[in-house]
Amino acid sequence: MARITLDRVSRVYGSGAVGVHEITLDVADGEFLILLGPSGCGKSTTLRMIAGLEEVTSGRILIDGRDVTGLRPRDRNLAVVFQSYALYPTMTVRANIGFGLKMRGMATDAIGARVEEAATLLGLSPYLDRKPAALSGGQRQRVALGRAIVREPEAFLLDEPLSNLDAQLRAEMRAELVRLHRSLGRTIIHVTHDQVEAMTMGDRICILRAGRIEQVGAPLQVYANPANMFVAQFLASPPMNFLPARLEPDEGLALDLAPGLRWPVPAAHDGWGRASNSSVALGLRPEDIHPHPAAGRVPFDVEAIAVEALGPETIVTGRIRAAPHLPALKVRLGRGPVPRLGETLVVHADLSAAHLFDPESGRVIPRLARGAVQ
Amino acid sequence: MSFAGMGGRRGRVTQAGLHLGLIVACLAVLMPIVWVTRVAVVPASMSYSPGLLPQVSSENFEALFAGRFPRSYLNSLIVAAGSVILAMPFAVTLGYAFARFGTAGRVGRFSVLATQMLPPVALVLPAFAILRSLHLTDSLFGLTLVYAALNLPFLTWIMMGFFRGIPVDLEWAAMTDGATAAQAFRIVVLPTALPGIAAAGVLGFILSWNEFLFALVLSGPRTATIPVALAGLQTSNGVQIGTVAAGVVLAVLPLIVASRFIQRFIVEGLTFGAVK
Repeated sequence: MARITLDRVSRVYGSGAVGVHEITLDVADGEFLILLGPSGCGKSTTLRMIAGLEEVTSGRILIDGRDVTGLRPRDRNLAVVFQSYALYPTMTVRANIGFGLKMRGMATDAIGARVEEAATLLGLSPYLDRKPAALSGGQRQRVALGRAIVREPEAFLLDEPLSNLDAQLRAEMRAELVRLHRSLGRTIIHVTHDQVEAMTMGDRICILRAGRIEQVGAPLQVYANPANMFVAQFLASPPMNFLPARLEPDEGLALDLAPGLRWPVPAAHDGWGRASNSSVALGLRPEDIHPHPAAGRVPFDVEAIAVEALGPETIVTGRIRAAPHLPALKVRLGRGPVPRLGETLVVHADLSAAHLFDPESGRVIPRLARGAVQ
Repeated sequence: MSFAGMGGRRGRVTQAGLHLGLIVACLAVLMPIVWVTRVAVVPASMSYSPGLLPQVSSENFEALFAGRFPRSYLNSLIVAAGSVILAMPFAVTLGYAFARFGTAGRVGRFSVLATQMLPPVALVLPAFAILRSLHLTDSLFGLTLVYAALNLPFLTWIMMGFFRGIPVDLEWAAMTDGATAAQAFRIVVLPTALPGIAAAGVLGFILSWNEFLFALVLSGPRTATIPVALAGLQTSNGVQIGTVAAGVVLAVLPLIVASRFIQRFIVEGLTFGAVK
């Protein structure tokens, strides 16, 4: 059982480049935490520091309150699954899975039994005497998992373990990892840049950018209340649309996007009042722009300049007719007739689901005046 | 056989030209080997006579074995194998340190190659002086030592290349699995690098086997290696071409075996660590 705490942990390289900057994070015992971010954001570095494979420049790492910052990897009792799987190429699957137990001095018979058990759990029994080179990608990935599970570590650290798999296998392994987490009940820290993994697997997501934490929270909560433009854009595909606007007082408030394009702000969003008379970035998710009218939705015309028909949904990139100079918008349409290129569509923005950001700092402007959680 | 897009008359002419060129190139490479073999297996009196195989005889080989050649063959084997065995542990550990920890920096790593950049003649006299002061001239051990020193820089660089090809993830995995850094090297990295070590060893063996200058200066009649022994057959009474040819044929044999071996291991070495 392991609660993992990072206390102002930094990693600065010899060249002076900062990999990770004063990260403070508390991972609860048994939690499935996702470290999400673009490449180079410091997520793998953070994971390696927790594992003891990368030096910590400053700060402390605690496991169950015990300071492990200076401990060797072998003394932390954590298991790491690498993106490359890092299977020992000269050893059989059996030896690979049993390696950690052997290193810890377990008796050969006991190792054999534990390896068989893990192999059964992961469907690897027929391949125990093969070398890694004779396995498929999915099988290698299972061996890497088996090697981690068999040791019964305090926590699992997974470094993009699914990124080398094809789409179908990835979906299967996602479900399998979640199932494993439920049955083992161990803490898991999972590094990924894939937001589907982030949304579907973890109890909480920690989003990193340039070595700093941008936001931590439950997946749907972060999705619904992004703290800034980076999170809003990163945590969805297609990402959130941003439109530059001015917030003007006008029988309440209105967003002035362009001459002749003025959208009323829902009265409930009284928190936006403090940005009155200033420039803002209006954030609208593609799924909050609808083909059908409803109360509170603002209609406007877009010209389809790109159409991606995916089957269950169609993503239309559209230019606003009344303000063609504004950035093109992505609109998510459900199943139905697929618009043609150049066609003009009437769509309806649901401003009750819209977000406002300060275009300078990128930070969100809360909808409610008292900063209440929405 | 035809290549896509090379059909038709013009294509056939190009093909024929290409093959002709390749045949000429192959002959240029193979002719000396074929001719040396031919001279070795015909009687000495027919060495220069026309015809591919006027008569077959073991006369040249008998003459060769009557002299010091078997001794030289053994010397070459001892010196070439010994130098590799002596240099390899240093090359492996140094190559690993260079590859993984960037030990000695760029300049340090390059300066290791300094001796390779000098002409051998510049090194042979100092080597002689050192061996004489150690009473190791005319000694197989002395020659082995010198060859080990000559091989070490390039063996180190070859090993560095192989270790660079082994993902550091493997060591990290071993260390989180409970191994110390030394165990990770010994149990995981070393076996993975084995094809590379074998390939480098064979290359070092070939270099020592063929070396002439240092052997000429540092060995005596008792400790002469094959290149020196063969050169010794060019006497004041003329070159004993039949015997030389027989010696060359025997000297080339281990190299043919070694090159087959090295081919297999280098190819294996290239793909072995790639478990992704």
